[in-house]
Amino acid sequence: MILGLDVGGTQTDAVVLEDGHVRAHTKTVNRPELLETLGQSLDKTLAGIEPDKIQRMVFSTTMATNAVVMDNMDPAGMIVSAGPGMNPEWFSVGPSYHVVEGCMDHRGTEVMALDKSQVKEAIREMEKAGVNACGIVCKFSVRNPHQELQLEEWLGDQFGYKALGHRFSGSLNFPRRIATAYLNAALHKLHTKFISSLETTLTERGLNAPRYLMKPDGGTIRLDKSCEFPAQTAQSGPAASVMGALALDGCKGVTLVLDIGGTTTDMALVLDGLPLWVPNGIRIGEHRTSIRSLLTRSVGFGGDSEVKVDDGKKLSIGPIRRGEAMAFGGPMPTPTDAMITLGLMEEGDKDLARKAMEDIGAQLSLDAEKAAKIILEETTKGMTKAVIDFVKRINSRPVYTIHEVIEGIKIDPDRIVVLGAPAPIVAPMLEKAFNIPCVVPPHYQVANAVGAAAAKVTAEISLQADTQRGSMVIPEVGLESAIARDFTMAAAMEQAKEALFSRGLAVGADPGDQEFAVIEKEEFNMIRGGYRVGKNIRLKLALVPGLIPDCNCGGQQL
Amino acid sequence: MIRAKRKTGLVFFPAFDWAISPTHPEREERLLYTQDQVMEEGLLDVPGIREYRVRPAKYSDLQRVHFCVPDEPSMATESHLISAGGCLVAADAVMKKEVESAFALVRPPGHHAMKVVHGNRGFCNINIEAVMVEYIRDVYGVKKIAIVDTDCHHGDGTQDVYWHDPNVLFISMHQDGRTLYPGSGFAEENGGANARGTTINIPLPPRTGEKGFLYALEELVMPLLEKFEPELVINSAGQDNHFDDPITHMNFSAKGYAELNARLKPDLAVLEGGYSVEKALPYVNVGIIMAMAGMDTSTVKEPGYDKHYAPQAPDITDYITNLMGTLKDQFLINPPAPHPAKNGEIITTSKRIFYDTDMINENQDERLVRCRDCAGALAIDSHSSKGNKMMGVHIPKDACPMCQKMAEKWVNEALDNKKFHHIFLQDRTKCTYEVLR
Ligand SMILES: [Zn+2]
Ligand SMILES: [Zn+2]
Repeated sequence: MILGLDVGGTQTDAVVLEDGHVRAHTKTVNRPELLETLGQSLDKTLAGIEPDKIQRMVFSTTMATNAVVMDNMDPAGMIVSAGPGMNPEWFSVGPSYHVVEGCMDHRGTEVMALDKSQVKEAIREMEKAGVNACGIVCKFSVRNPHQELQLEEWLGDQFGYKALGHRFSGSLNFPRRIATAYLNAALHKLHTKFISSLETTLTERGLNAPRYLMKPDGGTIRLDKSCEFPAQTAQSGPAASVMGALALDGCKGVTLVLDIGGTTTDMALVLDGLPLWVPNGIRIGEHRTSIRSLLTRSVGFGGDSEVKVDDGKKLSIGPIRRGEAMAFGGPMPTPTDAMITLGLMEEGDKDLARKAMEDIGAQLSLDAEKAAKIILEETTKGMTKAVIDFVKRINSRPVYTIHEVIEGIKIDPDRIVVLGAPAPIVAPMLEKAFNIPCVVPPHYQVANAVGAAAAKVTAEISLQADTQRGSMVIPEVGLESAIARDFTMAAAMEQAKEALFSRGLAVGADPGDQEFAVIEKEEFNMIRGGYRVGKNIRLKLALVPGLIPDCNCGGQQL
Repeated sequence: MIRAKRKTGLVFFPAFDWAISPTHPEREERLLYTQDQVMEEGLLDVPGIREYRVRPAKYSDLQRVHFCVPDEPSMATESHLISAGGCLVAADAVMKKEVESAFALVRPPGHHAMKVVHGNRGFCNINIEAVMVEYIRDVYGVKKIAIVDTDCHHGDGTQDVYWHDPNVLFISMHQDGRTLYPGSGFAEENGGANARGTTINIPLPPRTGEKGFLYALEELVMPLLEKFEPELVINSAGQDNHFDDPITHMNFSAKGYAELNARLKPDLAVLEGGYSVEKALPYVNVGIIMAMAGMDTSTVKEPGYDKHYAPQAPDITDYITNLMGTLKDQFLINPPAPHPAKNGEIITTSKRIFYDTDMINENQDERLVRCRDCAGALAIDSHSSKGNKMMGVHIPKDACPMCQKMAEKWVNEALDNKKFHHIFLQDRTKCTYEVLR
């Protein structure tokens, strides 16, 4: 049996899967303390199940996100070397940020060495600031990590955890690398403490099976390994939903996934079972990072969105949520009250819901039913507009080759999978608006927890080989090696695959899972003075998001 | 938090799958390191900088500018259409006021492509700036536009396209034609009979440095722009004036390019040449983008700048000071007198054009109506060493009745003449292009 648990904004969903079926599912209202919430949800979900029957556990938590958003992080120092370009002071972050001299160019050639005395000075400053961890980032370190490694060595054991920029992502983006290293450094202690408490909670309950955390890229990472990459577990909720859609529905064709929650509706696109990614990285709070994430978009329309009438005539829905629907004791009318008034939903206090609609109706000179209808119509209209805009933005993403311009497939959803409590009510309305099938899969209320339970481990590596320099770098695994002048793409592919599988194993991937995708594959002849002097090879491979074998049945059994 | 002071659009199209030939300077690798630098700097994340997706231009977009012989498909490949289309995307972004300025960082370039196109000249087939300018005129109704060509080579193609157009001010700053391809761009080349003084050439000596370029900009270019009062300023932003460029001999830098753009404040910039793909382009492009966005560029320079950049030599400074004195006199103090021909008179000229990349010779006989009311009807009788004989008749925007009539007469004469394989009528008053034979 597999346990999947997703902590949301207001409640926590959990499921137990057995032989590909949902054996148990629960919803628990969140407690102020995350661990308390987790404990309650576990006890409720596992009632009557022998703990040693659980063979795998996956958690999607809000620990990292909340710490970033509330700025409850540990003080972390930063040492940065940049060289010419944008002023590195513009990316200053944290209580003790230091720019030292040093410069690496785009080929990975060191143009200016580091100055040890400046670094010593920065260390003294960080000591004074009382930092517990340190982020180390150099421009173009993914092309040559030498300066980051040098700084790591000079720092010694002084600050415990050190977050080296090149280890988190092989992508080029210096400011995002800074933010990513900072968040990892600042979250490390908190995260490690949380993981250890979670381990205790689980062990106390006799739950000893392999444990994983959900990531925003739709994949998972082994709980203990996540301490090396704590920021990579932030904002995993929307990804869990998408993976849930994949497990419950299969998502063939071009599928738009809509998860209607209390406050927001999240949307994502899945192309023949493969979810789309964001091109650069996720934004957590005010930080733009290079942390890989599924492409999801939140709009401020949910079941509990505040409904009011502005200027005595204009109906407005969302983006604020004041609390639950009035039918459940909340303070303001909501779309949920409209659904209850129209008899579309069984739960809740019908009289309170009707009162909410009468109140809105009175301001618009309508009766309660008419007001409820208009509210649902407007909600659907808002969602429809957001979906169209979402798809339009994806189709206007820049491309860099003639091939892509000419062949560029236009993404046009041919079906919609709707998740979340109001799914059965909203689906027919969306079907009418888009004129494509709108599917509500079984267990649509806990799809996020199912997604967490079913998601397999993901990993990604980038390789850059420069045969003129005679070097090859795979930053994520810290590999830098010499190559011969006749190094080829085929050889690069072998090296990259090996690195990807070993990285995968290290973060908990199943040794049998060697299914990977080529994210980027480019090869350039380097011409100087009319002659070919070398080749520039770029490769990016990934263990892409997918379902563990038990759950990979296109929703046939679940 | 950083932020662009001016909202800036970026159309980036490195065409990673296109080259003139495997070892040609205009090859796949050309914008690779620029992309690396732009991405690593995180420029596209800066609030206020927005990246746009290219779209291919249509053949009808090219027909506003060129007479392609024998036709558009054989002169413009997909790469040319996309490069020109990138400029149209940039233009839309600015004209729709989504951004205040935009930079089309695209390839292949276009400023050596002339009005008649028989093949590739100086790495160019289609004049991407001109395609953009004519698009802006038709779609957005803009009349007066200035193009400042800061490529190291004389923008002879753009000069040719706008030679007779008094509503487009074309200024080219370049390495003196006596020392570099295409060998033209002298101060005497100052516009056709109906457009005297709206073509300006500033031939700078080899080894011109930051000081010289900025001096020429302040002394001549900015005052000329002020006088002309264009509704839009376009920078034809070649980057081969860089001290590290392998095919030119100038002494400009990333700092210099950034400063030039900060002062010029172009509404639109279009990438032209620039072949120091590793040591110059990445930094020059970052500098131009930041300058257009109104960001502080004082920390932008080549990694080797402090070691390898030598300030402009005093003899060059003296030469440029003298040159600017002369040019100011020629263009600002005593601007060129109108052409003496009477209204309605036909002025004929002949020229030979060499297509270096494709090794084609072209002979042109041109007839122009001297006109005080419009840019004048134009007839170009062109034959190339490939054997193609063409007659192209151009009716300018806002053409007067006299010129329209003359154009009609020329078309009829051409139709009666069996020697032409191709006859085209480009009527800019109706925005039409007719293939008559
Ligand atoms: Zn040039
Ligand atoms: Zn006229």
